[in-house]
Amino acid sequence: MNKAGLLYLVFGSVAAALMGFTGREIATAFRLAAGRPGPDDDRRKSAYFWEAAARNAWMLGALGSALNFTIALGSDSGSIGEMAGRMIQSLVVILYGLVLAVVCLIPAMKLADKSGAEAAAASPARRAARAAVSGRILGYVLFAATVALTILFLTGGQPRGGPLSLGRILLHGPAILVVFGGTIALALFAGRGVGARALTLGFAMTGVIALLTGLIQALFGFAHTNIEEISSAVAFIITAAAFALLGLVAVAAPLEDREVMDGRREKAGPFSRLFWVVFPLLTFICLVLTFIMVVTPMTKPAG
Amino acid sequence: MIPKRETDRGVDELLREALGDDLPADVAAGMRERIDGFRAGKTRESDSPRTAGTGAWLFRRTVWAALSILLLVAGILLQGARASSPLADRISAIKTASLSLDQIRR
Repeated sequence: MNKAGLLYLVFGSVAAALMGFTGREIATAFRLAAGRPGPDDDRRKSAYFWEAAARNAWMLGALGSALNFTIALGSDSGSIGEMAGRMIQSLVVILYGLVLAVVCLIPAMKLADKSGAEAAAASPARRAARAAVSGRILGYVLFAATVALTILFLTGGQPRGGPLSLGRILLHGPAILVVFGGTIALALFAGRGVGARALTLGFAMTGVIALLTGLIQALFGFAHTNIEEISSAVAFIITAAAFALLGLVAVAAPLEDREVMDGRREKAGPFSRLFWVVFPLLTFICLVLTFIMVVTPMTKPAG
Repeated sequence: MIPKRETDRGVDELLREALGDDLPADVAAGMRERIDGFRAGKTRESDSPRTAGTGAWLFRRTVWAALSILLLVAGILLQGARASSPLADRISAIKTASLSLDQIRR
């Protein structure tokens, strides 16, 4: 059992909820999920809250796996077998995320079913509920603290020889440049009218492109039997996946949540929903491929 | 061609009768004043904060676009040049170690 991963997921989900929703909206969602009666508009918004909670759990699971995987790779302790064991254990975090997502989807489906028939006839006069700034700041602080404490907990018991500080391991410069540059470019291209969906599109698409680029470069590395090329590509994949997920969880998703809860949009965009499901899955597949690439011995062709 | 309606024709005749000569001086002066006021308003509008705001927004957008392209190109070039990082070095060390282990086993 990965206790650090489990605690990270629980506290990370609470923080992500606070980043996108007000305390009152969260309390209403819990009250309605417990079977209390409520107006149809509240039911619709509560169903959206539970759907967002499921999405956050799934994406946080993938992000936790990527961070944990990086820490396992960077640790100097133990043999290759022990390190491989830690890398596999890091993938368990996404499994926890999936379980928590399923748990959150149940109230989402129940509330959506009950309010579905009248949702279309919902009053157009939507309440323009503004998120309390203090609540959002609390969410971001809690999220940062959760990630930082999880990393410290994971690295605390491991001796770290040489110049490998934590910050240097987690930061592969080219991947960060590509993710942020690509996201800003795509968001600008999408324009103002698209709103927060532009950021979701930006982070997810840049992440997908970075993952594919890294995979192709790694395959070239195998073809050229060049360990440096493979290592650079693997570092690119892991860092790009982690930063794209971080952008989706901490920037794009809370902004889209606010658009829906303030009544500026009826629901999240179909492409955003697709990216929220597919990108963490792609990250997981790439982490597995990365693991195989790292632990597979490479032999130089004879002659 | 759209045929001229009877009512329009009537109004035309009425105007021709009422304004047969040049406009009275006071009416002409009033009209000039109103036209000048309209022109001045248009000039002020073009220099209004709204236009200035649009210009600033366009400038910011251009700066962001240039910055994003710069970041993207720098990232691609660095990755293409196989820029070294502690994580890449560590992976390289692990792969070299696993290769050595494989050779020992053989």
